[in-house]
Amino acid sequence: MHLPGYYEFSARVKVVSGHRVLEKIPAELRKLGASKPFIVTDNGVSSAGLLEIVTDSIRSGVTIGAVADDIPQDSDVCIINDLAGIFRERGCDSLIALGGGSVIDTAKGINIVISENTYDLMKFSGAGRLKRALKPLIAVPTTAGTGSETTMVAVIADHERQRKMLFVSYFLVPDVAVLDSRMTLSLPPAMTAATAMDALCHAVEAYTCLAKNPMSDICALEAIELISRNLLHVVNNPGDKDGRLALANAATLAGMAFSNSMVGMVHALGHSVGSVCGVPHGMAMSVLLPYGLEYNMHKVSHFIAELLFPLAGSEIFARTPKHLRAERVVTIIRKLNQDLHDATGGRHARFFGEVLDRHGAHMVEKEKIPDIARTALGDGALFYNPEDLDYDDMLMVMEGAWEGVPLKRNLIKSG
Amino acid sequence: MVSYREVKPGGKPFKRAYVAVMLWFVGRAVQAAARVDRAVAREFDDLPDSFTFCLGVEPRGPFMVVGKSKKGRVKYLGWNPAGKEIDLAMRIQNMEAAILLFTFQENNALSACRNRITVDGDIPAACAMMRVIDIVEVYLLPKMIARLAIKRYPSWSFRRKYLGRIRIYFRSVLGY
Repeated sequence: MHLPGYYEFSARVKVVSGHRVLEKIPAELRKLGASKPFIVTDNGVSSAGLLEIVTDSIRSGVTIGAVADDIPQDSDVCIINDLAGIFRERGCDSLIALGGGSVIDTAKGINIVISENTYDLMKFSGAGRLKRALKPLIAVPTTAGTGSETTMVAVIADHERQRKMLFVSYFLVPDVAVLDSRMTLSLPPAMTAATAMDALCHAVEAYTCLAKNPMSDICALEAIELISRNLLHVVNNPGDKDGRLALANAATLAGMAFSNSMVGMVHALGHSVGSVCGVPHGMAMSVLLPYGLEYNMHKVSHFIAELLFPLAGSEIFARTPKHLRAERVVTIIRKLNQDLHDATGGRHARFFGEVLDRHGAHMVEKEKIPDIARTALGDGALFYNPEDLDYDDMLMVMEGAWEGVPLKRNLIKSG
Repeated sequence: MVSYREVKPGGKPFKRAYVAVMLWFVGRAVQAAARVDRAVAREFDDLPDSFTFCLGVEPRGPFMVVGKSKKGRVKYLGWNPAGKEIDLAMRIQNMEAAILLFTFQENNALSACRNRITVDGDIPAACAMMRVIDIVEVYLLPKMIARLAIKRYPSWSFRRKYLGRIRIYFRSVLGY
């Protein structure tokens, strides 16, 4: 176990997990002194019938003050102010965020505006600007990947200034995270694969990057084991409720790990691939994860080697000589990507060269790689990466990830 | 009558003095490096004109302020951020954390990872300034110590490393 000279850890969200736990929401609201929630969700969740499942499950216990089911992918200050107006008008006293990362972030934004009784959300951007507890917020994730239900961060767009603003405060952590297997049962296999690989990335980077600590390590190891045991099975059997619940728990555990230990170069490059080329986050994570491990191998091979146990089980761990374990981890993750590619009929990408848009064109054009590298140089996740990366290193990693060929170890600089 | 002692803030004058000298010298070295080293100049070129950066210790300093003029010239602006419009502030949370950093017991990245440095401002600009400080440390410190301060010691040409080091020391001392 690695015990750093200093670390901080906080995981103050209450997790309620099970096959039929939505029904517990009214009781949880009562415990928080609330009785009239405002439900926030998006069109996709609503049209998949998940909103109806939630309202049916809780309506006998609470009055639902209002339902907003049109949250866009990158909601901004104006939308948040409008929704806060509805919250006030209907006399709501709490929020239920039903959806993925953007819906949960929007609910956090509404909560700041309401609780601070302001119209200027942006004056609370940055770290530590919130000084008091907000209204009760219950998060019901509908994907098993982002971990937003456990994090103290919200990212909200300011379209006027063309920027994404970061809000960081312990008060932004939802009061309760409700993990109900019904919420992810209808997730298509390719999406299931990408979001779970995002969670795997959170766990692996939390375990191998600079801010790792014993508390987040435990969450990360457990998340990795749950994903490696269940992901392929769930992709092949989407109706497997236990497997779905395991993946939802894995995503929450990984969220707890990375919101304390943060993430590294895989996320720095992944964010850039997303912002420059529009590649879905989970897909970028799946492709980049083995490259991130290869790049950092000379610095943290001992930590990477420890991941073989939760990834492959005790027998393979015991059979693999100590000096080969870290390399075996990379091989297993590449094989998992290959298996998911086969199981999803090729929809799960193994490298950026095969990420195509709906017209069949490359989403990541090779000429965009320099832009991606430049953008990644400004990502805060780089602070946490064990090895330094400059522009040329970014290019090297991205070119390997585009072609789908392992990194040439002799080209990785060390010093 | 029982006397209840009041403890006034302050203390640690030697540590404060040491950190103040380090910040003063690093500030002047950043100014010098922006004129001597192409990589540092490029980092500042990408920042907006009139950009002002401050690095210091909470809550009472010392600080150092470095700014870019409207013409793009990088200048050390002294030790006092008061009255200046600061675009990016990197604050070390207490004197002990500053000592760990400036005695190279903990490198810049690890200090940030351990929440000993808080960033108020644009994250890409903070990444750029961390790279600048890393480069300046390579110039100012012998390899053995610089390796403790940064993640990866770069492999530079003799000309860049040694001639650059002489020029940066010279400019830092003379302040131009």
